[in-house]
Amino acid sequence: MPKVKKDGDELEVDLTETEIIQIQDLLKRGPSFTEWGMFDVMHSEHCSYKSSRPRLKLFENAELNYDYVLAGPGQDAGVIDIGDGFCLAFRIESHNHPSAIEPYHGAATGIGGIIRDILCMGVRPIALLDPLRFGALKDNPHSQWLFKYVVKGIADYGNCTGIPTIGGEVEFDKSFESNCLVNVACIGLGTIEDFKHAPSKATTPGDYVILMGGSTGRDGIHGVTFASRTLTEMSEADRPAVQIGDPFTKKMIIEATLEAVKTGYVRGLKDLGGGGLSCALSELTGDGGTGGDIDFSKIFTREPGMNSFEVMLSESQERMAFIVRPEGLETVLEVFKKFEMAHAVIGRTDDSQVLKVRDGDRLVVNLPAVALSDAPPIIREEKRPDYLDALLNQKTPELTMELEDIIYKLIASENICSKEWVYRQYDHEVGVRSVVKCGDGDSGVLRIIGTNKFIAASVGTNSKHCYLDPYEGAKGGLVEVCGNVLASGARPMAMVNCCNFGNPEKPESFWFFSRAVEGMADFCKELRIPIVGGNVSFYNEDEVTNTAIKATPVIMIVGIIEGKENIVSLPFKKAGNNILMVGDTKAELGGSEYHSVIYDLEGGIPPKVDEQVIKATWDFLLELYENNFIKATHDVNKGGFIITIAEMCFKNGLGADLDLKESDIDELRDDELLFSESVGRFIIETAPKDLDIILDIANKHNIRVKKIGELTSNSKITVKGLKTKILQLNLNKMKKLYDSTIPNLMEI
Amino acid sequence: MTIKIAVIQFPGANCDLDTIHVLNNIIGIEASLIWHNHFKEAEFDGCVLPGGFSFGDYLRSGIIAAHSPSIDEARIMLKDGRPIIGICNGFQILTEAQFLPGALLRNESLKFVCKWVNIKVENNATAFTNKMRVGDNLAIPIAHGEGRYFTDKLKELEENNQIVFRYVNESGEITDEANPNGSMDNIAGICNLERNCVGLMPHPERASEEILSPKKTTHGRLFFDSMVEFIKRRTS
Amino acid sequence: MDDQEFIVEVVLENKKAARDPVGTTIQKDLLAKKGYDDISSVRSGQYLRIKLRADSEQDAREIVDKMCNELRIFNPVTQNLTILKVSKP
Repeated sequence: MPKVKKDGDELEVDLTETEIIQIQDLLKRGPSFTEWGMFDVMHSEHCSYKSSRPRLKLFENAELNYDYVLAGPGQDAGVIDIGDGFCLAFRIESHNHPSAIEPYHGAATGIGGIIRDILCMGVRPIALLDPLRFGALKDNPHSQWLFKYVVKGIADYGNCTGIPTIGGEVEFDKSFESNCLVNVACIGLGTIEDFKHAPSKATTPGDYVILMGGSTGRDGIHGVTFASRTLTEMSEADRPAVQIGDPFTKKMIIEATLEAVKTGYVRGLKDLGGGGLSCALSELTGDGGTGGDIDFSKIFTREPGMNSFEVMLSESQERMAFIVRPEGLETVLEVFKKFEMAHAVIGRTDDSQVLKVRDGDRLVVNLPAVALSDAPPIIREEKRPDYLDALLNQKTPELTMELEDIIYKLIASENICSKEWVYRQYDHEVGVRSVVKCGDGDSGVLRIIGTNKFIAASVGTNSKHCYLDPYEGAKGGLVEVCGNVLASGARPMAMVNCCNFGNPEKPESFWFFSRAVEGMADFCKELRIPIVGGNVSFYNEDEVTNTAIKATPVIMIVGIIEGKENIVSLPFKKAGNNILMVGDTKAELGGSEYHSVIYDLEGGIPPKVDEQVIKATWDFLLELYENNFIKATHDVNKGGFIITIAEMCFKNGLGADLDLKESDIDELRDDELLFSESVGRFIIETAPKDLDIILDIANKHNIRVKKIGELTSNSKITVKGLKTKILQLNLNKMKKLYDSTIPNLMEI
Repeated sequence: MTIKIAVIQFPGANCDLDTIHVLNNIIGIEASLIWHNHFKEAEFDGCVLPGGFSFGDYLRSGIIAAHSPSIDEARIMLKDGRPIIGICNGFQILTEAQFLPGALLRNESLKFVCKWVNIKVENNATAFTNKMRVGDNLAIPIAHGEGRYFTDKLKELEENNQIVFRYVNESGEITDEANPNGSMDNIAGICNLERNCVGLMPHPERASEEILSPKKTTHGRLFFDSMVEFIKRRTS
Repeated sequence: MDDQEFIVEVVLENKKAARDPVGTTIQKDLLAKKGYDDISSVRSGQYLRIKLRADSEQDAREIVDKMCNELRIFNPVTQNLTILKVSKP
């Protein structure tokens, strides 16, 4: 790392020579050590997005193009107007590197961070979702350890703060072994009034700046530069201690902040996360066009003798910054006193557009506020990896196993089996809003008390598909997650994403990111889904083995269901009803669970997305919902549609008699038909009397819908119409396999 | 008459707003959320100690809250025979404050567990069970990490009929499989000798509305309806 | 009497009758399975390190004992309290 000098002392900073010269030119002097430290932190990849911003420009401007978007990317959370005077804030973030070192505290503080971001928008956090990725569990004690403690960290923190975890996903793959991914998402609900009272910009000079919450200590200094390098690049000694979260203080901060916002005197609100005070103060003033005069001695610290460098860069948890109107100061301070929250008035905003921090009569920080928040972007090279062609050309081997045995193996495989072991540890009902609970639907569904509106939300992506084709894979992820929300009865309203990729300084790794962003931009524009926020986590790469994680652009979608009668759930309901398959099945086994579980193959042709077909499919489903034709829905993904059908049979102990002759997909082999992971498909349950009219509606929208079978009351699935044989599957056996994989691996 | 109930809000309580919602909007009484330091017993006909993680469960679940001045106030209510219910963390606080005997320890599985369970009514002569029948099988959810009931006075509890609820399966049988946390004798809830104070680990406020219940039951309401009945009888 | 600073170290552990699943799990599911099968028992507990001013070591012990009992810092139904050590900082 380069070193900068001042008064005979040296400091290592994680900036390039170009960046160092740019900074010196901007200030027309050498910065102080504290100022260098602040630039170091604010210009890190994690805070500044310097590598990703040029590509992220591809996203449509959400605030301009959609009238219900109140806050878009660049703010602490995306916010949308959902009608009846309510708004929803949501955001997704990564906490990958800390969790790989110390899974419990890393995951816990990840939850702490995302809650704060939502709180900053002035609304109450009401739900959490967690997409997680680890190396395979079997015979891998390290992965088991990470998995166990990440889940526990999320559970303990989320449960203590009283925010239900209503959804998530877990993917297991070799590429995540040394770089596990812990992404955390949060949804907040409030009135539009509340949101208007909590902007994250300090736009008025003369307001008070108040620090509230936990005290500032020496922990976490340089946490963001840690996140901006690969794990192997930093030696054990360099790694800063992972933070210990305090969910009790966080809970008090939530209550105190919401009550303070309701007074109407709060004019700016920011949480102190990565980059600590430097980041929060410079963003508040820089984005608001004001400056600040801060008295260093007023900042309450946990340890004696901390200098300005340490205080400005500390990433101690559970701290919030408030900008308060002068006439409301006492009222707001009273709120903090009631909740016994430590707080201090540390300064005032002014119109200088400069951020000043004084230590007695010394000016330790004197920077234009925008200098810190406007790091110049870096244009990265991209190159399609050479190995991809060979991978895409991999052929599916000839069938040598019995189809039943393949299906039994798939239903028990780590990526498909039940994740109940995980969500039983999360309090998913606190708040009395959870209408569709974990395991009962493709997405979590929450009610909004006092209205007849319901929120549906889901997260995920398929990294095996993205690895083979990041453009189609990113789109496929969108199709899948939107499909989850649609399956519950909601139209997708808005999206946030969490991009997890390798080292952006390597052209092959950056190519994956670039293509994924293009895929998301194109799909969302076509399907009219505003992108209201995102997070980028680079440097998830193992330098020693030279492997990056599989490209993982995680998608989160929220949608609204109007009327409780319009909520649809996953389990099949009634014997005698029809089973319909909506959508096209193609020979798309690339990156499928079938390939990896049965043949240990990573390649093949992955699924492609046709936006017009997807649009028509969604319209079709929504029309069916309006007429109450659908009794159960589940979108088809990992393992293919038989797995989907089995999952729908489990809860109510129903079985299925399928006859695929009607589906006229002659050009596919049996395994291609059964295990293809073509995106945009759904299995729906409908009443026999409605079949004709449903097929008419399908024709009208020009999509393929076929009756493939009927529900029975015995516990087996029979499949006729295949080329090689009639399949007989024992559902009790399937359920046992589905339920026992993770407990067997995790309970010693 | 308007029935006034206090839901005591300790720092870290989570289920306080949920309980207020049920009492005010479903049961239809006047329930107020009272910050623990501001609680005055004379103003209320009864109180609820809601679920959550008071004081982060630091040191031990419920111990710090048990020293809150609100507990001294509640003790007056207790002696006066007014109804007091402790739900989940509230139950833990009541045992630490010694309003009820025994203690709640870490779940046998060492994991937090959130799921719907069944409990059997063993005593319907308390302030919160008079609308139930002995033997009734109620569907109520649990969500806790420290719910394992322990007492060194089990025989006394049985003789005095202080065991109010036991964990059972859907058929009403008291089995090991039906016990979600290793509680002694499958005990899910108990009462004091005077029967005006009840503590239980399951959450009736989460089982009071059809839309939230897997089987569309509303057994949670019975607890609060019983409380209303008890207060009416007392004051008539 | 001089007012001095003392450090009192205290351990709270579950009584035998209350079972100790944390200790049992460590012994049976971790140690025994990893070749440490000579270990016959593990008990878990909580450790508190209390810094206070007192007139003497005995006085320090008494203050800590009193406060732990009065404020139920340990739960007498389920736990035992042991003062491990008193020392000077």
